[in-house]
Amino acid sequence: MRKSLILAFLAIFCLLSCSRKQSVTASASSVKRSANRTPAAEFTLNDENGAAVKLSDYRGKVVLLNFWATWCGPCGVEIPWFVDFEQKYKSQGFAVLGVSMDEEGWPAVKPFVAERKINYRILLGNDSMAQLYGGLDSLPTSYIIDRDGKVAFPPHIGLISKNEYINEIQCLLGDRPVDSLPVESASTSAAAACPAK
Amino acid sequence: MVKRGEAAKHVLKAVILPGFHVNSDKPRDEFLIPLKLTWDTGPLEAKSISYPKPEEMELNGQKMVVYTGTVPLETEFLVGKDAPKGTATVTGKLKYQACNSQMCFRPSTLDVHFAVVVE
Repeated sequence: MRKSLILAFLAIFCLLSCSRKQSVTASASSVKRSANRTPAAEFTLNDENGAAVKLSDYRGKVVLLNFWATWCGPCGVEIPWFVDFEQKYKSQGFAVLGVSMDEEGWPAVKPFVAERKINYRILLGNDSMAQLYGGLDSLPTSYIIDRDGKVAFPPHIGLISKNEYINEIQCLLGDRPVDSLPVESASTSAAAACPAK
Repeated sequence: MVKRGEAAKHVLKAVILPGFHVNSDKPRDEFLIPLKLTWDTGPLEAKSISYPKPEEMELNGQKMVVYTGTVPLETEFLVGKDAPKGTATVTGKLKYQACNSQMCFRPSTLDVHFAVVVE
């Protein structure tokens, strides 16, 4: 007769260290003054057709650079917004660039892209590229990049509202009154911080 | 202490920090990464692993089955008939993918182990 013994081991593992706990970015956008904007780190990654894509290929456009993964629920919330943005603002010199951080690569990413009908360019990220953007331990993480290839707003780590993205994109496209966004210094005019179309 | 040729049970308790969750062993969305415990080959052979019933959670309009808090993972082992007597260490891995309501963390794998005396 089989005899079960209960081992007295109750191993306890903490699945998340406190250091990984990150606060979510503030809900209000704060546009950076042009002089204070830093260039977005350059990278070259492949798209699903194997074409090498550089971030600098997008110079002259406003870019929403979104780091995401197929296993990331909050990323999936944002993706339909980005599909809308790509459709709505593309003609004004705007592009969404999605960088997947899926370790399984294209076999995981391609079916997701097809299922969600993603209409913007998807690239496959890697660890060395992630280091250029602070490690990307948590997703989604997004950067709004101006036409000069500079990061115009503090990065968005975690899910934010669709309206916040719209405000920032329209600000950089020059579609909305720029004084509706706070600037990081009251002494600088918003118009200088948010270039006209 | 376990005896050669007999069954033995082990409970691994995984503790998830408040505000976070991990996917269950069978998430509804095929793209989500399940919680998965595996044990390496050794003097004790893992015969089955039982995952607790997950919680139903709705986040950002998505219905999910997840674990929060303390998650007991029960493994039934069979002690090999020829297992060497004495103290042995059983090693394994716990793969998980954690999120909160606003962000997710990259999938991670923890090394897990426990010591056992084989008689």
